[in-house]
Amino acid sequence: MSTHTYKKFEEAVSGVLPDKMTVYQECLNAFNESPVNAKRCRTLISRLLQLLAQGETFPKTEATALFFAVSKLFQHPNDSLRQIVYLAIKELSVISDDVLMATSSIMKDVQNGSDAIKPNAIRSLTRVLDETTAFSAERLFKSAVVSKHPSISSAALVSSYHLLPVAEATVKRYISETQEAVSDLKTYPYVSGASDYYPNSTYISQYHALGLLYMLRNSDKIALMKIVQQYSGGNVLKNQLAQVQLVKFVGNLLQRDPNVISQFAPLLSGWLTSKHESVQLESAKLITSLPDRNVSPDLVAAAIQTLQGLLTVPRVTTRFAAVRVLNRISMVAPQKIVVCNPELESLINDSNRNISTYAITTLLKTGTSNNISSLIKTITKFIHDISDDFKIIIVDAIRTMAFKFPEEWKSIFDFLINTLKHGDGGFIFKNGIVEALFDLVEFVPQSKETVLENLCDFIEDCEYNEILVRVLHLLGKEGPTTKNPSLYVRHIYNRVVLENSIIRSAAVVALSKFAMVKNDPVLLNSIESLLRRIRNDPDDEVRDRATIALEFIEFSKSQPEAEVPQELINLTYSYDLGALESKLTHYMASNQDSFRTPFDSSSVQKLTEEERKATEYKKRQEQFSAKLSPGKESTPSRSTDADKANGNYSGPTMEEHGEDLRATRYAEELSSIDEFAEFGAIVNSSKDVPLTETEAEFVVSGVKHIYNSHVVLQFNITNTLSDVALDNVSVASTPEVGETSPLNELLTIPIDRLAPSETAACYVAFSKSESIVTEGFLNTLYFTTRELDPATGEPFEGDEGFQDEYEIDSLFITAGDYIKGAFVGNFSASYDELAHSEVAVYNIKEDNSLQEIIDKIIANTNCLPLENSQFATLDSNSHTLKVFGKGITGGARIGLVVRMIKSSKGIALKAEGKSDDAELCSDVVNELV
Amino acid sequence: MGNFFSSMFDRLWGVNKELRILILGLDGAGKTTILYRLQIGEVVTTKPTIGFNVETLAYKNLKLNVWDLGGQTSIRPYWRCYYSNTAAVIFVVDSTDQDRMATASKELHMMLQEEELQDAALLVFANKQDQPGALSASEVSKQLNLVELKDRSWSIVASSAIKGEGITEGLDWLIDVIKEEQL
Repeated sequence: MSTHTYKKFEEAVSGVLPDKMTVYQECLNAFNESPVNAKRCRTLISRLLQLLAQGETFPKTEATALFFAVSKLFQHPNDSLRQIVYLAIKELSVISDDVLMATSSIMKDVQNGSDAIKPNAIRSLTRVLDETTAFSAERLFKSAVVSKHPSISSAALVSSYHLLPVAEATVKRYISETQEAVSDLKTYPYVSGASDYYPNSTYISQYHALGLLYMLRNSDKIALMKIVQQYSGGNVLKNQLAQVQLVKFVGNLLQRDPNVISQFAPLLSGWLTSKHESVQLESAKLITSLPDRNVSPDLVAAAIQTLQGLLTVPRVTTRFAAVRVLNRISMVAPQKIVVCNPELESLINDSNRNISTYAITTLLKTGTSNNISSLIKTITKFIHDISDDFKIIIVDAIRTMAFKFPEEWKSIFDFLINTLKHGDGGFIFKNGIVEALFDLVEFVPQSKETVLENLCDFIEDCEYNEILVRVLHLLGKEGPTTKNPSLYVRHIYNRVVLENSIIRSAAVVALSKFAMVKNDPVLLNSIESLLRRIRNDPDDEVRDRATIALEFIEFSKSQPEAEVPQELINLTYSYDLGALESKLTHYMASNQDSFRTPFDSSSVQKLTEEERKATEYKKRQEQFSAKLSPGKESTPSRSTDADKANGNYSGPTMEEHGEDLRATRYAEELSSIDEFAEFGAIVNSSKDVPLTETEAEFVVSGVKHIYNSHVVLQFNITNTLSDVALDNVSVASTPEVGETSPLNELLTIPIDRLAPSETAACYVAFSKSESIVTEGFLNTLYFTTRELDPATGEPFEGDEGFQDEYEIDSLFITAGDYIKGAFVGNFSASYDELAHSEVAVYNIKEDNSLQEIIDKIIANTNCLPLENSQFATLDSNSHTLKVFGKGITGGARIGLVVRMIKSSKGIALKAEGKSDDAELCSDVVNELV
Repeated sequence: MGNFFSSMFDRLWGVNKELRILILGLDGAGKTTILYRLQIGEVVTTKPTIGFNVETLAYKNLKLNVWDLGGQTSIRPYWRCYYSNTAAVIFVVDSTDQDRMATASKELHMMLQEEELQDAALLVFANKQDQPGALSASEVSKQLNLVELKDRSWSIVASSAIKGEGITEGLDWLIDVIKEEQL
């Protein structure tokens, strides 16, 4: 064949896509020809696949026509053609109708085809099977799974993963064959003799079989334990991925029941010395992610030692993985990995930048306030040599440090501002630095002026509009409260003179905020004259903003007492953005009178500056700890992990978002119930408190809604039974103290019928005095069970049902329900300001760790932990927790300092609380645990 | 060059010409059994065909491309996707299944009205003659209304795929007709 004709079919390489319609027509013609030209068909299918791979797609009718045409190629016995036909079927099965037409032909190949095409045939078979046809393929799958040929066995096993959601019952029927495949060492038939260097199989089918077994058995704890025991012993598993998988199973089991650790500890420590690096790594990763009280210090030390050893191996990926695990540990327990510091330091100059970046961020975490500045110096030398991605990770790490060592802000700040001004870098990188600086301003108040001044310098020469606008906004927000506001005015006005209209408008808004500085008529005058000048701006928006600002200023001058302009220029609150968005979406969707009713923003939760900061701060804290919690790392998924590895925080996850919307959702639900209308607006809603085991027949959780002078308890009840409906479900809540309780029950709203696997809410309402009332409630669930006719799903006629009751846990309204977390930059200063104080001492006998007590206190008081005091250091037996919050009704501030000491007898707590409100203070302090 | 001549000869003798033959009929009539009886000469155990089977077989110097399409109600609508270039249709009837004879007749006549099958020869196998209570070929022919067919070469042969009776006779007739009419 000459190069010329050869090239003709190689358009793919040139990157030019063939024309879709031409390919379509040519395919139809060639595939319907008789006899079939195998070579030409292969070329055409490869073009078709190329199109599909590039994201092109065909309308359903055309895809179906293609599918039928391709199916005709089964008449040709050529194996190579058959393989590509399978690929085409696999791709087309997604977009075409009636794919079942290929079933019989594929099955025949699975049964009688050559070994070369069997795996392909199996893979495409799963794409065309559906629930009704799958059973006829069961025998084929069975014999493929136990096939001695590793490729065939693997293809059948992996295809079964895909078959599971389609026809689980069928897959379950070959569980014993799958077990057989796990322990079977399959080798390729055509390789003769294996040597030590070139084993003739990786035994990968063991891994695939183990994975399938897990999917079939994973709901059954005992079965899973049996799998681990069965395959961990001896030399059953040769494949290292399969061994890694086994480690993950153990992790999964430990997550469900931490007490089984004693059983698995010897296994885990054995894996630490496995001959496969990946097994060592996985095992070390698991051990170090377990809660401390569950795992012996020796085992952890051994795991760290293993990781330390892996830092110096020649294989880059292993080094990377090890340093990444260490990095994770460094976020919770930096002192544990100090032993690795020499190795980490030598990795700073690793030729692989990913590794060096992780090494540095890890060192930053293990660093104490003493060596931070020297570390930062090392980084400064190094940061200009690396790519943006790593710069971002480093900036992120430094940003975390600002939280940990607020007193080190100076060197952190120097580093940030230097990199910002002198470093090259893209938008994301610069934005990251600016974000970090914003954090400094917000959460480290003593740094404010320096940061702002330097940001002013920075915006003199900044190429990114977005960043400029944000900096201007910050200057407007923070500038007026600084010692020397006029300094910022000059910088901002410079922007008005020099920049484009977007930035000019942002600058105008920022300027107008300076006019609101009290008692500075000179500044006010100059702002006014500046704004007047801006009224001649060529841009509409800029002019408009200047005019309106001037109007406000005029107005507030003539009526100094009026708060309206003050509030409009200087917003004291912001909306809960998540709630606002969902409200607006709802408003747009339920357009009943073509938007004649204006949007009602009053129901959207408003956050004061302090509350907003508290939520932000909390999010940051959670973001750091989220990376560590092992619970969030599900065993099979690797992608989420990879995201986090990049260090990019990609916005709040759905879960956090849901948290934001919680309050709004409750408000909506409750306001739609007429009985509660007169109670007014909800002041606070608690989180869901589980009141039963999650395995119970009826799963109940409680939510406490506090109104000004009412309390509503919401019980969310899930009926987990499959054939019984519950009628007239209600909850009887009686205050623990009985008749003397300050709460009076007003009404109960029952659920009429709770069908199987449904969740519904019933409510109990109480009236209360306006002051803070704390109370425990004893709860009993009352209901009538009605057995359901499986045919109709309705209760049997004449079945009266019988009444029953069900004890559920008590629900407590505590002082914490009247508090929201609040952020203060300087805890001790704010704490000293508070008037009323209260001290209480507790002794806790149960065997709890300090960390558990801390978590409990934070959950109970609803306050925001500050100064990083929410993490107990691991080795020490004492800890001081500092939290701050704000009363939901009066806005009284409250600060708590809890000192705790752990001894052999238990934990002793000394809680000191200070607050604006004596009652709140004593309630909180006396009901801490 | 050698290749070139041999393909020329092939063309002269008509060897290289592939003939497309469809085997159709209601489900359970014995289409798949007939197909493999033709190909390997043995009775294979079959299960309902989901889709189709296709086999190439050499018969009297001819290459036959035989398509056996599933007969279940859900699959019948797709028969038409495989009609083009068809030289002949073999329609298989379960001679013991008197209840569904009308359905078979309806499907047969509907299929024969298709434009793409106007030149195709028709061979009907009155299958399962080994079973008690099987209708004879002429009875089946009557029930299927075969006499109504105009402008088409057709024949009906009593057969038993299990015993291998009648199959070759039928196919011989079919090949003769095709050679006469289409080659």
